[in-house]
Amino acid sequence: MPSVTFLPAYRKIAVDPGTTILAAAQKAGIQMNVVCGGQGKCGKCVVYLKSGLADFDREKYGKYFTPEERENGACLACQTMVEGDVQVLIPESTLIQEQKILVESLGIATDLHPSVWKYALDLQPPTLEDPSPDLTRLLWGIQKKGGPVAEKIYAPLEVLRSIPAVLRDSGWKVTATVALVPGGYRLINVEKGDTAAFLYGAAVDLGTTTVVVYLRSLVDGKVLAVTSNYNRQISCGEDILSRVNYARKGGLDRLQQLAAESINTALTAAANTAGIDREEIYEVVISGNTVMTHILMGIDPAYMIEEPYVPVVRRYLTASAHRLGIGVNANAGLFVFPAVSDFIGGDVVADILAAGMAEREEVSLLIDIGTNFEVVLGNREWMFSCAGAAGPALEGGEVLFGMRANPGAIEKISLDLETLDPAYETINRVKPRGICGSGLIDLIADLLRACVIDRTGRINTSIRSPRIRQGAHFPEFVVAWAKETAIGKDIVITENDVKSLIMSKASILAACFTLMGAAGIRRDEITSIFFSGAFGNYLNKEHAIIIGLIPEVPITRIRNIGNGAVEGANIALMDRKKRRIVDDIARKIAYIELNAEASFMDEYTRATFLPHTDLSLFPDVERLLDACRIRRG
Amino acid sequence: MAEPSEWTGTIGRVVLGATRGEGGTRSVQYCIGGSRDLPFLPDEVPCGKRPLIAFEICDDPALWPPVVREQVGDLAGDPAAWAREAEKAYGADLVRLHLTSTHRRQVADLEGVKRTVESVLAATTLPLIIEGSGDPAIDSDVFQRCGEAGAGERLLLGTAEADRYRSIAAAALAYGHAVIAQSPIDINLAKQLNILLREIGVPADRIVIDPYTGALGYGFEYSYSVMERIRFAALKGDADLAMPVLSAAPDSLTVREVRDAAPAERQERALSWEFHAAFPAAVAGADIVCVRHPLSVKRVRDACSALSAGLKGTPAQGGG
Repeated sequence: MPSVTFLPAYRKIAVDPGTTILAAAQKAGIQMNVVCGGQGKCGKCVVYLKSGLADFDREKYGKYFTPEERENGACLACQTMVEGDVQVLIPESTLIQEQKILVESLGIATDLHPSVWKYALDLQPPTLEDPSPDLTRLLWGIQKKGGPVAEKIYAPLEVLRSIPAVLRDSGWKVTATVALVPGGYRLINVEKGDTAAFLYGAAVDLGTTTVVVYLRSLVDGKVLAVTSNYNRQISCGEDILSRVNYARKGGLDRLQQLAAESINTALTAAANTAGIDREEIYEVVISGNTVMTHILMGIDPAYMIEEPYVPVVRRYLTASAHRLGIGVNANAGLFVFPAVSDFIGGDVVADILAAGMAEREEVSLLIDIGTNFEVVLGNREWMFSCAGAAGPALEGGEVLFGMRANPGAIEKISLDLETLDPAYETINRVKPRGICGSGLIDLIADLLRACVIDRTGRINTSIRSPRIRQGAHFPEFVVAWAKETAIGKDIVITENDVKSLIMSKASILAACFTLMGAAGIRRDEITSIFFSGAFGNYLNKEHAIIIGLIPEVPITRIRNIGNGAVEGANIALMDRKKRRIVDDIARKIAYIELNAEASFMDEYTRATFLPHTDLSLFPDVERLLDACRIRRG
Repeated sequence: MAEPSEWTGTIGRVVLGATRGEGGTRSVQYCIGGSRDLPFLPDEVPCGKRPLIAFEICDDPALWPPVVREQVGDLAGDPAAWAREAEKAYGADLVRLHLTSTHRRQVADLEGVKRTVESVLAATTLPLIIEGSGDPAIDSDVFQRCGEAGAGERLLLGTAEADRYRSIAAAALAYGHAVIAQSPIDINLAKQLNILLREIGVPADRIVIDPYTGALGYGFEYSYSVMERIRFAALKGDADLAMPVLSAAPDSLTVREVRDAAPAERQERALSWEFHAAFPAAVAGADIVCVRHPLSVKRVRDACSALSAGLKGTPAQGGG
């Protein structure tokens, strides 16, 4: 068997001949950037063949490399077949990097009404005078301790088998764990001694990219640890569609395992941090998008990406942890948030719960922005939702110097409106490598205010400034000179970048207006705009309004709920009564398919302008722009 | 008696052409716009004749429709004589000069462009519409020259689009001309372009909207409904859309149906195809309709007069 040695770490793995370097890397536990899912389409999995024999079509994929890279033996890992022992260098840019992952959230106060309880019992041993069976004795003990009525607790066979020995070995001092499951109360564990204080639950956000876990005590509700890590499915493709395609090609089991492993890794880290035993985790609440939750449950998501795009289930799901390979107490229950449609998943339902918008009389708007976006409008009586593709621009994709929120990304920026000199901040305060979404929004807002760009995003090249120049293909604005950067090149934003961003923001604003139109709601009737997700957290709200990413409302009405998906999961973990609201949300929410909505295209075109074609919808921005124009003359 | 109009908006007015008294050399000045109701209704009352019919000529006929070249013969090589013919023989209200010579690569003779504009201005006393190169690299020079040549004549310069409007706007502002603002068959994009022009200082009374007109069978119905929507929006009070509208369907004479027609029928087919975009455009509210076939001028005019006069009969048979 040929061996593949990965440099610089010298990690070695034996593989069959014909295995791709990507598959070898996955086997070796190395996480590579694979946007296209290994189809040779994205050019992200660049590696250098240092020695040995491998088959790679340099002609066909030559376009992904610079001449220098070609000279150094650049290949695409997903398209290179190992033929003999090889040494492969993985450059840093190919590895999945540390990224800002959102773990903070609002910390909404929630009453503690868990769905699992522990009862420490000190039972009387049976005698000839009191010969009632072990189970009866146990259940009576629970009832006397304030637990559910004895006859209503179901005891499954596997627990029953353990009872006689545990009771006698412990001297009749045991702790019984009872859970409320859809069928009623269920005795899920009986153990020696008093362990009533050791009762934990986990709230999990299973995202396409990251997994976040909150570990909490179910006795007092305290948060004991918060951990996060990448979703290991990334090695099977970075976006949802590549995952579904992977599942289609027989990879569903693998994806299911990777999802469970990703959760387990975060759970283990959390348990270690908190110093608890994972066996003491008796309840896990999981929110995730529709595809993620389907995959986790091992339900084939393939049919959801075809017309008419229906998910398999639209209600919450429960299962016991061991059936899905989640490493907690084998009898622990899983509660998985319901999906509404293929695009409005359990993560959005969790957002809604976290925002509290399903319990309020007033109308609120919820926006979750990623590569795809979801928008929900409504109150406790009605709700409209829609989803769409915002394009990658807001996450730094398809923008010349755009990047994700990794170290070195310019995340905040402001321009001196006279000299056009920028002041910026980068993530981790290192020299800039590029600009991430929040930085791009700041930049566009200030370029507009400085009249450097017109309302379609066109750069006015007649302004005399060394920062405004004609680039190779488009006019551009220099944000950072080469000497300031970590990449030795001027970091610029091109006119084409601005236009991509305008198209992205237009689809989100148009979605908001389409829902408002469907519900007959004016912008002044919106009492709250909730931003969910990482994007909203780092975003300058005023700038988001100036560029017309969201409808204009007073800034004080805009709130970040942070990671609403995990916040919602936390709420449902702490308070089982809220789970009824969860199902109720999933049932009443109306989904508007934007592609089938005639008015959407009109709204979209109106929104492809900064901030919008109709400035009367943005009165404060109108005043601001007037003032700027007067100042510049 | 019709119900009085309930519209709150009025189409803005644009004045084209300057007479001697106004500092120009034109024999006539037109006011377009001013309408207060839907087209051809009694309360419409535009500020001048509607529609005006513009006859299109060019300074390099290589790309001009063969049916027109066949019809006009040698005139096609002489813009001045052609313009005079448009005024005297065809009965056009305006002449629209396309500087097609600037569409070639490597345009060297920009001074020649200026001379052409001057010769056409001398040959006809009608107000002029002048179309530039369509190439951002030289448009600035082209507009500079035609703007200068026609200074004081209140020309209508074309064509501003969302991705190139600064040079034409600059020429219009510097020499007192109006501009055509063209957008691709979309009411919102039309509005956006008007806003862009307003924001760089072009006043509303110097803007004529060209919503882009597709030939019959090639998108005309979209153009028609956009013209209709623009008129509705303007009458409802949207100031950024309350400008007069120009319609030209230049592809009418080169569509497959015309190219493939039997030689004996080709002229009539061409005429008919052009008429069936120009006349409905007038019905949709266009203030200026542009034609390229010499016989279209009368045919469109007769049909519109018939409609105005409330005469019966099919307008299509009204002329030619």
